[in-house]
Amino acid sequence: MHITDTTISRRDVLRLSAAGLLSAASVPWFESLARAAVQRPRGKACILLWMDGGPSQQHTFDPKPNGEFKPISTSVPGIQIAEMFPKLAQCTEHMALLRSMSTQINDHYDAKYYLHTGFRRVTGLEHPAIGCISSREVGLPGDSLPAFVTIDAGNDKVNGGRFYRSVPGYLGPQHAPLAVQNPMQGLENLANGGDRIDRRLELLAKSEQRFARELPVPAVGLKQAAFDRAVGLMRSPRSAAFDLDHEPASLRDQYGRDRFGQSCLLARRLIESGVSFVEVFHRGWDDHEGAALRIAARAPWMDAAMSTLILDLKNRGMLDDVLVVWMGEFGRSPGDGNGHFCQAWSSALAGGGINSGIVVGKTSEKGSRPGDRVVDRPIGAPDFIATLCSLLGIDLHTEYMAPGARPMPLVDKSARVVQEVFA
Amino acid sequence: MHRTPFFTTAVLVCALRICPAGEPLLEQDVLPILRKHCMGCHGGLKQEAQLDLRTLPGLLRGGESGPSVMAGQPDQSPLWKLVASGEMPQEKTPLSHKDRQTIRDWIAAGLPTFATRHAAFDDPLLARGSRHEPPQVAQVIDRHITGQLQVQGLKPAAVADDAEFLRRVFLDLTGRVPQSDQAAAFLDDPAPDKRGKLIDTLLASPEFGQQFGRTWRDWICPPELPSDMNSGRQPIQQARALGDWFSKRFAEGDSWDRIVREILSVKGEIKTQPQMIFFGLVGQDAKVTPDGSTRSVASLFMGVQLQCAQCHDDPYRDWAQRDFWSLAAFFRNVKGDFKKIDEQPGEGRITIPRSAFRNAGQQVPIGFLKGAQPDAAQKKTWRPVFLDWLTSKDNPFFARAFANRLWFQLFSRGIVNPVDDLRALNPPSHPGLLQLLSNEFADSGYDVKHLVRCVCNSQAYQRSSRLTVGTPKLTVDRQLQRFGRAPVRVMTADMLFESLKRVYGDPQLDLRAVDQKDGNTSGESAAVGDAYLEFHRKFGTNEGDATDFTHGIPQMLTFINHPRLLQGSRGFDEFLKAHPQTTPQRAVEWLYLATLSRRPTGDELAEATAYVMATDQPADAYQDVLWMLVNRSEFICVR
Repeated sequence: MHITDTTISRRDVLRLSAAGLLSAASVPWFESLARAAVQRPRGKACILLWMDGGPSQQHTFDPKPNGEFKPISTSVPGIQIAEMFPKLAQCTEHMALLRSMSTQINDHYDAKYYLHTGFRRVTGLEHPAIGCISSREVGLPGDSLPAFVTIDAGNDKVNGGRFYRSVPGYLGPQHAPLAVQNPMQGLENLANGGDRIDRRLELLAKSEQRFARELPVPAVGLKQAAFDRAVGLMRSPRSAAFDLDHEPASLRDQYGRDRFGQSCLLARRLIESGVSFVEVFHRGWDDHEGAALRIAARAPWMDAAMSTLILDLKNRGMLDDVLVVWMGEFGRSPGDGNGHFCQAWSSALAGGGINSGIVVGKTSEKGSRPGDRVVDRPIGAPDFIATLCSLLGIDLHTEYMAPGARPMPLVDKSARVVQEVFA
Repeated sequence: MHRTPFFTTAVLVCALRICPAGEPLLEQDVLPILRKHCMGCHGGLKQEAQLDLRTLPGLLRGGESGPSVMAGQPDQSPLWKLVASGEMPQEKTPLSHKDRQTIRDWIAAGLPTFATRHAAFDDPLLARGSRHEPPQVAQVIDRHITGQLQVQGLKPAAVADDAEFLRRVFLDLTGRVPQSDQAAAFLDDPAPDKRGKLIDTLLASPEFGQQFGRTWRDWICPPELPSDMNSGRQPIQQARALGDWFSKRFAEGDSWDRIVREILSVKGEIKTQPQMIFFGLVGQDAKVTPDGSTRSVASLFMGVQLQCAQCHDDPYRDWAQRDFWSLAAFFRNVKGDFKKIDEQPGEGRITIPRSAFRNAGQQVPIGFLKGAQPDAAQKKTWRPVFLDWLTSKDNPFFARAFANRLWFQLFSRGIVNPVDDLRALNPPSHPGLLQLLSNEFADSGYDVKHLVRCVCNSQAYQRSSRLTVGTPKLTVDRQLQRFGRAPVRVMTADMLFESLKRVYGDPQLDLRAVDQKDGNTSGESAAVGDAYLEFHRKFGTNEGDATDFTHGIPQMLTFINHPRLLQGSRGFDEFLKAHPQTTPQRAVEWLYLATLSRRPTGDELAEATAYVMATDQPADAYQDVLWMLVNRSEFICVR
C-alpha cells in the first residue's frame, strides 16, 4: 500500500526537471513522431469510447434471436454480434465482450459518475474518474502533454442527461483532462503566432528570468515550467499529434470522415505521442423512442471507426499496449431498447494484452423478455473499474488521501476483478 | 481568568524557554504516527483489546492490559514495548526507527502536549467584552505574531512596499487588480495613513461584497454542482444567485450571525430567497438531507469536520457518531429541495439511517455539539433553537470558525489547519491570536468588515513576500508557517477573470475557444458552458493551498495564443485617445500600472520603450508589451 501526497510528489518531479527555466532545450522533446512506441514504465495506455446516454446491448453486442437486429457470426466461432456491425464482427478475435454488466443505477448522471469512478456519488467528496487515475498512475511525469485528454465526438441529438466531466478530486487539478472540443480543429489555442509571438516571447524572457531570481518560490517555478512546456509544445513537431492533416487521406477515410471516426484517429495519434488515457465521448445514445432506427443510422460510423482503430493499433504493433474500452453508463431495456436498463448490459474491451476472443457473462435467453437479467457472472461497476485499473497495470492496493485526512482506496473494497479477461 | 494586556512578549519568551528544544509533543509529533499506524485498529472505528489511542485520556486509560503509557517510563509502557519489539502494528510495516524514537522520547519527557507547553500563548492579550479600535487590535495581532517569531529565533520579513501592499489588498478585498490611475494615485499619495484609508475605501466598495460573496459561494458549492436525479439539471444560475446574495450582504455590512441566520432558518420558496439553495446544494440529489446539512453547517459555520462521524465514531478524531446525529436532529424536519423548504414542528430526536455502517436504527436525542442538551420531548421547530446556541456570544465554534477562515483566506494558511478541523488535539499555531480574533468578532456583533479591517491593518498582513538573497529556504518556510512573511499565492479563477476584464477594459471578456461560442452552450448535456463557467473550469485553483500553481498546458496556451489576449486593451486605447501627445515612457508606465500595479524599473522601462521605438507600428508594439505583462508570472501571482 502506498499513500500519496500528490502535491509534494509533483513538486519534486518538477524540481528535478526544472533545472533550466525558460530554456526549451531542457524539455525532453521527442522530435520524431515516427519513433517506436512510447515507453510507459508504469502501465498501459487506454482509449475509452464512451457512448453517452446508454447504448442498447441487444442492438450491439448482445443480440437476441428474435431481436430487431439479427445476430451475425464473427471471426470467433460461437460468438455473434448484431448484424449492423459487420466490420467489428471481423475483428472480434481481438475483443472481449462483457455481457453481464449489472450496475444498479438507472439515472444518467449518477450512473455516469459510478461507471467513471467505481464509486456511488456522494456529497462532500468527488471521486477521481478513471482517466484522472490513469494520469496519476500511468502518465509520464513531467511530460509536456497532459496524460489525460478528452475528445468531444459530438452528438446526433441532445439528450441523455447532464454531461459528466472527469474530475480529478483529491488527486489534484493537475490530473484534470485536457479537453479537445473538436477533433478536426485539434487543441484550442495551439496556433503558432509566427514572428510576432517570437518577438513577444523574447520580450517576456528577460523579465521572467529576473523575476525567478527575485522570487524563487514554488509557484513561480511551476508557472514558468508550465509556460515553457506550452511554448515548447507550440514549437515542437509533437504538436502535430493534434493535427489530423498529417494522416493519409485513405486512413482518414477508413476511420470515417465523421466526427466520431476522426476522434478515434486523433485518440490513436495522441496515445502514440505519449498521452496515456484518451476518452472519446459521443453524446446521443439515450434512445427513448426506440433504439433500432437510431442505431441503424449510427452503426456504420461506429463500426468503421472502432474496427479501424483496433486494426490500426494492431498494424502499428501497439495493440497489446493500448486497451480499448467501449461502454456507456448503462444499457437499454430488452427488446426495443426504449428505457434505461442497468440490470443486464454489455461493454466491450479490445487490445491491452487481454485474453481476447471471449465472451464473459450471459443474459437470459428464455422467458417473455429475453435478456432481462444476468444469468451468469454479474459484473458490478466497482468490479469493472478494478478490472480496468488492473489491466492498465495500476496496483489495486493504492490508497489516496482525501481532504480531512480521509484515506480513500483506489477501488471499493468489495470490487472483484474479472479474471477471465486476463491473458 | 483575565490577564493584563501588558503581558509582553518577553514573558512569552521566558515561558517557552522552559520547554527543551526538540521535545516531541503529542499533537504534532505523536498523534500523526499513531494515526497512520495504530488507529485503524485502536481508534474510533475499532477498539481492539479495548484500546482507543485517539486522545491522551484514552492512552492513559489503555486497554485490556492496563495503561498504554506511563509518564517518564518508556520501558514500563506497553505502547513503547510493543512497537519496539515489532509486535505492533500487527501484519503491517513496522514503525521506522525515527517514529519509534519519537514515541520513546515523548514518553520519557513525561507525555508533553502542545496545550501544556504552549499555555503561555493562550492569552489573547486584549480584554474581551467590548469592541476595540482596529489599530489597537492590529497592534495586538502583531504582538502575537512577533512574540512567536522571537521564540523561534526568527525575524519577520520587511514591510511590503506600497505597490506590493496595493496590489495584494485590492486582490484580497475586491478580487481584482487596481486600475492604472487608481494605482498611480495611491503610489503618489504622500499621506502617511494612506494604507488605512485605502482599506476603508475598498471595504466600502461593492466589489468587497462580491469578492467575499464569491469566496463563500465557492466554499459551499462543489466544483461541479450536484443535480437532480435524472435530467441532471445543475442549479448553476441559482448557485450564482447565492453568490450575489452573499455579495449584497457583505457589501451592506450585515453581521455574520444575521447572514448565517438568514441562510439556516430559511423556508418557503426560492424566488425571493436565493440563500435557500444552500440546503439543496449540500444535500443529496438536490434534496435537503439532515446529514448533508449537518456536515456543511459543521464545516462552514462551526469549523469542525464531522463527516466521518456520520457512519461511525471518527477513527482518528474524538467525535462520536452520537455527536453527529444529535446535531443532525436539528435539521431532521427540514424538508425540501433546491426550490422550496418546509419545516414542521417535531420531537427532538432522530433515527440513525440504514446507510450508516454502525448503529443503524438507533434513536439519538437532539443536542448541541459538546454542550447542553435541550428538552428533546418538546415538539417544536428546532432550527431557531440551534441558531440561538450557535450565534450566542460564548459559542465555542461560531466566531472561531469565521476568524480562522478569514485568516486562511488572507494568509493561505489557517491558524488551525485544515481550516475546518478545530478541536483540542489539532491545536492552533497561535492560540491567543485565534482567541483574540474570535473575541473581537463576537464583541463587535460579528462585524465582518471590522474584523477584516483589524487584520488588514496589521503589519502581519502588510509584510513583504520579497526574498533577500541568501535567506535559507528553511528559514523562509518557518517564517511562512509563523506568518512572518507574506506568502506568494496564485490568483483564484475569479481574481484572474476580473483582473483580465479590468486590464483589457472588456466586461464581456470571453476566453472560450473561438469556434465554440455559437455551439450548444445551454443544454444539460452541453460539453461547453458559458464564458464564466468555462473560465472557472479552466482556471480553478487548489482550494486547500493557494500557493500551489496547478495550471498546465491548456491554461498557458490560452494566455499565449487566445485571440482576445493577443489584442489590445480598450482601457489603454481610451488613455491614448485622451492623451494624444503622450510619450512612449508614459504609455509603458500606464501599462505596468494597469497590470502589475507598479511602475516599471529603470531597466524595464528602457526595454519596453526601446521595443516600442524600434517599430513604426507603435499600436502593435503596445499590444506586445501588454501581452508580455499579462504573461508575466508576476501577473498571476498575489504577493
